[in-house]
Amino acid sequence: MTGTGAVSHGIDLTGAEVSLLGKRLLGPVTLNISERRVGIIGRNGSGKSTLLRLIAGLVAPSAGQVRVDGIDPSGDRKGLIARLGILFQNPDHQIIFPIVEEELAFGLRQMGLGKVEALAQAKARLVAEGRGHWAGRPVSSLSQGQRQYLCLLAVLMMEPATLLLDEPFSGLDIPTARGLAAHLARLSQRLLVVTHDPLVAQAYDRVIWLEGGLVKGDGTPDAVLPAYLTAMEAADAGPDFGA
Amino acid sequence: MLGLTSAHKTWMHRLPVGPKLALLALFSVVLFWLDNLWPMLVALVLVAALVASGGAGFARQALRLLQPVWFFVALLAVWHLWLNDPLNGLRIALRLVVAVTAANLVTLTSRLSDMIDLIERLLGRKVALTLGLALRFVPVLGERAAMLSLAWRARSQKRAAWRLVPGLTVGAFDEADHMAEALRARGGLV
Repeated sequence: MTGTGAVSHGIDLTGAEVSLLGKRLLGPVTLNISERRVGIIGRNGSGKSTLLRLIAGLVAPSAGQVRVDGIDPSGDRKGLIARLGILFQNPDHQIIFPIVEEELAFGLRQMGLGKVEALAQAKARLVAEGRGHWAGRPVSSLSQGQRQYLCLLAVLMMEPATLLLDEPFSGLDIPTARGLAAHLARLSQRLLVVTHDPLVAQAYDRVIWLEGGLVKGDGTPDAVLPAYLTAMEAADAGPDFGA
Repeated sequence: MLGLTSAHKTWMHRLPVGPKLALLALFSVVLFWLDNLWPMLVALVLVAALVASGGAGFARQALRLLQPVWFFVALLAVWHLWLNDPLNGLRIALRLVVAVTAANLVTLTSRLSDMIDLIERLLGRKVALTLGLALRFVPVLGERAAMLSLAWRARSQKRAAWRLVPGLTVGAFDEADHMAEALRARGGLV
């Protein structure tokens, strides 16, 4: 079990849009998210990752408003990183430092801890996770699954109340994916998970289905998933690489 | 780069990095001031004694690190023999070998994180972070180069060589974008 520092009241999007070079990637989207387990589903390019980046404040809305526990994610970075963490799809895009313990200590230092204290906490956490021997290892010597796990630890050490995960299971073998799923299930944090897997989404409190940057379905898994699966298997649903 | 600190622990490992680097700087300046061959030979004996004081395993490692220098020493020898100025050639070669050995001594006996700490104290967090990022991305870019080369060979009989450069460059910019985003996701440089 991981304790969380802050309690999250929820995520609010009001007419939020993201445009890039005049092309609208997402929105307008209006959502209030306060459930503990939320799946975000949709086809490639439907705006799932953009929605996560918008909520994490990595992109600012080009119109509308985003609030995480009342905080503007792209404006108040310091306030946001104490409340919300994001796990990228590719761990190599996330890891900043060459040595495991430095990667873990970075987030803590960002939150104002001294270097010695941050490193001590990083080491203690690794020991607690049964991976004390990782501390001085180069990140490049870890496997894909181990790197994913390192990224998760690095984010969890900042004790956010909300965790955003972008397809956390892609690229992992079945036992590793199952281990990660079990680890995630034990977390007390609010989880927003982008996934292609209906089985993963089935266990969540709420599922949001995006299509073409807009919300196409929203509700319990039982209410949303059947329609989603029907649409995905429909005769006119061409592949993403189609004409 | 990450494994340059010698695993053969010596008394020099226990010295703090700051004074070691200061001594190295002073030593190098004096070395390049010297014109006379004799004091230079004294400097050579001094660094040789320091290397030897670390034990046989440490000394072997220090010698291995000199490998790239021998090529330049040979080049200098040929050039100055051709110029008919062997004494000057010997002086430059001596300087080179002694200076590189002294610098290697510091590298071999210092932890990378201590070096980065020192840079952080002297030049600030941004410069130190930049150095850390550079070290992180040497293996990443190396891996990407290897992958691109494999991708090329999977569809071609010829070797790829320089034609991989544009792809690698674009890839490096791509990495930089991802890195900026990763930094931002965890609070940026505050």
